[in-house]
Amino acid sequence: MTKRWLCTLMSVAMIASLGAGTVCSAEEDNTFIVGFDAEYPPYGYMDDNGEYTGFDLELAQAVCDLYGWELEKRPIDWDSKDMELNSGAIDCIWNGFTMNGREEEYTWSVPYVDNSQVIVVSEASGIADLEGLSGKIVGVQAASAALELLSEGGDQADLAATFGTLQQFPEYNSAFVELQAGSIDAIAMDVGVANYQLKEKEGYTILDETLNSEQYAIGFKQGNEELRDLVNDALATLLEDGTFDELAEKYELTDMVCMAEELGVDTGAAEEAETEAAEADTEAEEAETEAAEAETEAAE
Amino acid sequence: MNLLEMNHINKEFDGLEVIKDISVSVKEGEILSIIGPSGSGKSTLLRCATMLEKINAGEILYMGEKAAYVGADGKPVYPKGQDAKRIRSYFGLVFQNFNLFPHYSVLKNIVDAPLKVQKRPKQEVYQEARALLQKMGLADKEKAYPCQLSGGQCQRVAIARALALNPKILFFDEPTSALDPELTGEVLRVIRSLADLKITMVIVTHEMAFAREISDRVIFMDKGVVVLEGKPEEVFDADHTRIKEFLGRYQRI
Amino acid sequence: MSFSVMLEQLCSGMLRSMEIFFLTLLFSLPLGLLIAFGRMSKNIIIRTIVKVYISVMRGTPLMLQLLVVYFGPYYLFGMSIGGSYRFTAIILGFSLNYAAYFAEIYRSGIESMPVGQYEAAQVLGYGKGQRFVRIIFPQVVKRILPSVTNEVITLVKDTSLSFSLAYAEMFTIAKQIAAAQTNFMPFVVAAVFYYVFNLVVAVVMETIEKKLSYYH
Repeated sequence: MTKRWLCTLMSVAMIASLGAGTVCSAEEDNTFIVGFDAEYPPYGYMDDNGEYTGFDLELAQAVCDLYGWELEKRPIDWDSKDMELNSGAIDCIWNGFTMNGREEEYTWSVPYVDNSQVIVVSEASGIADLEGLSGKIVGVQAASAALELLSEGGDQADLAATFGTLQQFPEYNSAFVELQAGSIDAIAMDVGVANYQLKEKEGYTILDETLNSEQYAIGFKQGNEELRDLVNDALATLLEDGTFDELAEKYELTDMVCMAEELGVDTGAAEEAETEAAEADTEAEEAETEAAEAETEAAE
Repeated sequence: MNLLEMNHINKEFDGLEVIKDISVSVKEGEILSIIGPSGSGKSTLLRCATMLEKINAGEILYMGEKAAYVGADGKPVYPKGQDAKRIRSYFGLVFQNFNLFPHYSVLKNIVDAPLKVQKRPKQEVYQEARALLQKMGLADKEKAYPCQLSGGQCQRVAIARALALNPKILFFDEPTSALDPELTGEVLRVIRSLADLKITMVIVTHEMAFAREISDRVIFMDKGVVVLEGKPEEVFDADHTRIKEFLGRYQRI
Repeated sequence: MSFSVMLEQLCSGMLRSMEIFFLTLLFSLPLGLLIAFGRMSKNIIIRTIVKVYISVMRGTPLMLQLLVVYFGPYYLFGMSIGGSYRFTAIILGFSLNYAAYFAEIYRSGIESMPVGQYEAAQVLGYGKGQRFVRIIFPQVVKRILPSVTNEVITLVKDTSLSFSLAYAEMFTIAKQIAAAQTNFMPFVVAAVFYYVFNLVVAVVMETIEKKLSYYH
């Protein structure tokens, strides 16, 4: 009975989401509500002072500062992210949110981080490549991109079929404890998170072979191009003035950010400066040449 | 005047007739005992009189006022609101198993209804209650809880509780049947003392000697009908097969 | 993160957990009694509706009910949710769920009362309301106290389910700190918090039980 009720609820939901207009609280009351998973460092997490922070949240703050919006950081249950977004309880999902495979489900911002899904194993296990995972127990976060990849219909479903078990975890912390305890052999996860976790832990390694390469972007409610465009413009501005790269450096994500390439600004602020420097060099050379010529002339 | 009048009462449970066209009346100051074998309907009759059971036919009058009757549509009509409250105040009932309120002390059991139902002044109610306890020989038990009392003491508290509302007529439904034999005496003594005060009483009982001694009138019921009615000696000494059989069975036990 | 900051964070979360706890009790205890009356109603329609309600509330997970209460208004009627409705939905969801459990506890208590208590009260002239309030209910409370204690202790732990509506109560914060600090300490502290709170609840309930043990 409940099941049927839920089905009805879901179908009503789909109809409603088709018909619903653009709901954006940013336009209404100047608040920009970002939904994020607070257990997902370094993108969104609780810092040492008990404040929510992270690369994504600081970036969101920078966007809000540009428009004079007030940022509301709303930690959500990752499993109900779609309901939160569609119901208008949050304005966007901004939290290391993988867009690949979900292209049609949200209205996406420009991708800003290139993230690969990797496998973390303990050094002692001797597992060296994806083949070595055959018959092993592999942990993965529930509702994560890695799980999607490894599930039936995902790009790495065949690989997953060779695993002994694909064990789901609510969050990475407990997965790592199990890895440490030896009750699982490997964890499939985002490389950024893996780097963060391994920084604090000894005896683990990331396999060179990756599961895939994927990109993070900000997910807006389908059809909410208006808000998406505003955020995209702001991101472009932040890329130009260097804020974006500063933040990437702060969170050690420099190797992974990809917005410059995506926006076709290939150079980015730093490179532009370099070019300018190079041009200045050329000018100086030219000046030197001219000076030399003048000298020669004078000598003659 | 008849305090209570029950005319042509019928009562059935799931089609089984338990009381068949019984008419009984009680005069002021009269003590009426109802005897008879188990299942004869005597307790049910008492429960009909106290409105714990609804009648299927007939009418009940208290002080000449219609308390219950069965209308033309065959459905019993009972008073509501203030009428019900007034009619209920005419009678009191002492149960076989006391039904004291276990969460109230002895004193509270007695004063609660006069205070909360009749809304009488506190001082007067407490004074009367203590006097009643004195009369029941329980003056030292007013702070005790029912669970700390013996059965006989409980039944005496129950009698005091019924009396505290100053009913015109007091019903007893086998008041000693739940008691150990050595405890029946104290309860019967209390009832006898009430008889001396000329309080109108209707007593359903299995205590034959007691009934014979105390009653002004005795009714012998069997199988839902009144078989014999009259002065105690008329009933107990009647040359009637069924009462002889009944009393004979009693003496053998 | 220093230990004191962590404690501070968890304490603020605990306050939010306790807020859910007390508000849920405040609403669900009286509501449960109302539902119990409906469940015992002579009216078959009311009785059936309440029966279905109780069976759904007990037969489906609380987390699912919270999601339905919160997101339902949007999906069903297109109403805008968010803002303060989130907390309202949590209290509403918890209260509706716990009221169903309490209703059955009340019913078991009320139905276990000997009919003689009602009859004695009736003959003494108590009205229907007085009969229940003065005679029946106080005795029911004593009878159902152990089962109520059980539910109340479960409620303390169930407050962590409010995370499904993204409400940062104690356990949610513990999980977040654990993720950021990559250690298990917050869970240990969380366990201690729950245990101590439940210990207090148990002691309070025991005291009440003792207070009511003057009769049986």
